[in-house]
Amino acid sequence: MILTNVNTVPGKKIVEHFGIVQGSTVRAKHVGRDIMAGLKNLVGGELKGYTELLQDAREEAVQRMTEQARQLGANAVVNIRFATSSVAQGAAELFAYGTAVRVE
Amino acid sequence: MEIVTRYFDLIVFLALLTLGYTAGSFAERKHYASIVRREREQLTFQVMTAEAFFAEGRVKKAFLVSGSAVISIDYFKRMLAILRNIFGGRIKAYESLVDRARREAILRMKEQAIGNGAHMVVNLRLETSTIGNSANRKGKLGSVEVVAYGTAVALNPR
Amino acid sequence: MKYTPRELADNVNVSHNHPLAELAWLVGGLVVIVAIISLGFWWLAELVVPRVPVDVEVWAGKQLLEKYRYQENPDLTKLLHTLLQTLPPKSPLRTYDFSVHVADNEAVNAMALPGGQIMVFSGLLKQVRSENELAMVLGHELGHYAHRDHLRGLGRGLGVTLALAMFFGQDSALAGLASDLFLGMEMSYSRQQETAADAFGLDMLVAGYGHAGGATDFFSRLAGQAGGTFPYLLASHPHPGDRIVVLRKMIAQKGYPLGNTVPWKISKPSGNK
Repeated sequence: MILTNVNTVPGKKIVEHFGIVQGSTVRAKHVGRDIMAGLKNLVGGELKGYTELLQDAREEAVQRMTEQARQLGANAVVNIRFATSSVAQGAAELFAYGTAVRVE
Repeated sequence: MEIVTRYFDLIVFLALLTLGYTAGSFAERKHYASIVRREREQLTFQVMTAEAFFAEGRVKKAFLVSGSAVISIDYFKRMLAILRNIFGGRIKAYESLVDRARREAILRMKEQAIGNGAHMVVNLRLETSTIGNSANRKGKLGSVEVVAYGTAVALNPR
Repeated sequence: MKYTPRELADNVNVSHNHPLAELAWLVGGLVVIVAIISLGFWWLAELVVPRVPVDVEVWAGKQLLEKYRYQENPDLTKLLHTLLQTLPPKSPLRTYDFSVHVADNEAVNAMALPGGQIMVFSGLLKQVRSENELAMVLGHELGHYAHRDHLRGLGRGLGVTLALAMFFGQDSALAGLASDLFLGMEMSYSRQQETAADAFGLDMLVAGYGHAGGATDFFSRLAGQAGGTFPYLLASHPHPGDRIVVLRKMIAQKGYPLGNTVPWKISKPSGNK
């Protein structure tokens, strides 16, 4: 599966497209991590736990999106966009969407 | 009778939970059925996130279309999400919430485009926002708004 | 670019397991964690409580008491003080400044609050027929003070409340509900503690009146109304029927005589609302 965030797959010709595909996941960290992050907020710096959480979630969102593309018979997703929103306190929603296409 | 007055809070809570569960899953099933039916109807209408390039004189008109939906979560799923917040991991209760909101928003955008005689929507963008940011706080709404927007294109007959 | 409309086979963005199954797992996990934390606090309370000086407790009790509103009942306080006369001068209970209060509540119950404040619900007073019965009830509460059960209960309640506040945040609806449920347990003691307090109360009754008459009267009246044992599985006290059996056994063992009871005149506390 080829993933790009431009209009085309550079160097390849798009034969057909199947419309939009999307993948999303809502994740939360357990209370222990939240408390550690609260402490870390006192001194600043990177919240490793959250970076990890969001990275994991983003990977899963992409994976779900490519699964949709696979079901449609596509072999590439172009013009992918990411979006993050906080649906609930302490929880983040990661969302990826793009256009499923078949390239030569 | 004494038990009822003593555990009044608990009884109300359980009643709300049952109501949330039954009414919530009924509404969700109904909504999904409607989403699937309308998606099938609009299947031949093309939407893409990519920009499209058209030959000169091919486009009759192009205009912005948008559709949005605000979906709220039921009491049962909210409790489930609060519990899940403690242990961490995937909040399955919210997955269908955002999924429904997103598909509904896209459907409404497509309906607007079709109603105005468009043939396709290009450069689709989706935005999600929460209404009442902390959805699992007391007295706050647990709901998401999704807005879908793009450029609808109506083509000249060839 | 050619468009090929195709339908998705299934929805990958939504997990397909049953929400009730997830609820069961989450609630189960939460119960285990809260139980572990509460046990920790309980153990801590067991460790600390026997070492807390009575003065500290009396001070803490005063702080706590300012939040409540109820009337002191001079008749009951007088009865309590006559009972206290029988205690040996070295008894740790002597350090308390006891007083008895009556709260408007239909529940048939009494509580030992920190700092020597005994709270009797008006529902209990309605049930009482003789002074001896009342002395037994007050003696039972004094037993809790003597064994310092009231502090243990408080420690446990505090543990549960803290654990819940930590998980849910202080102002969430669920935390309020859960702590309402658990706070009922704050003033409840284990069966052994209740039995020990009953034994203490019996001794006080005999010391005060010279005989054990009326010790079981109150409980037999309760047992008549109590119905099945089922509600008592969750209640703060053992089933009155069981308590009568245990009390009779104690009376027989210690060879206490039984005598006539002094009737208790139901006096409305003066200056009351």
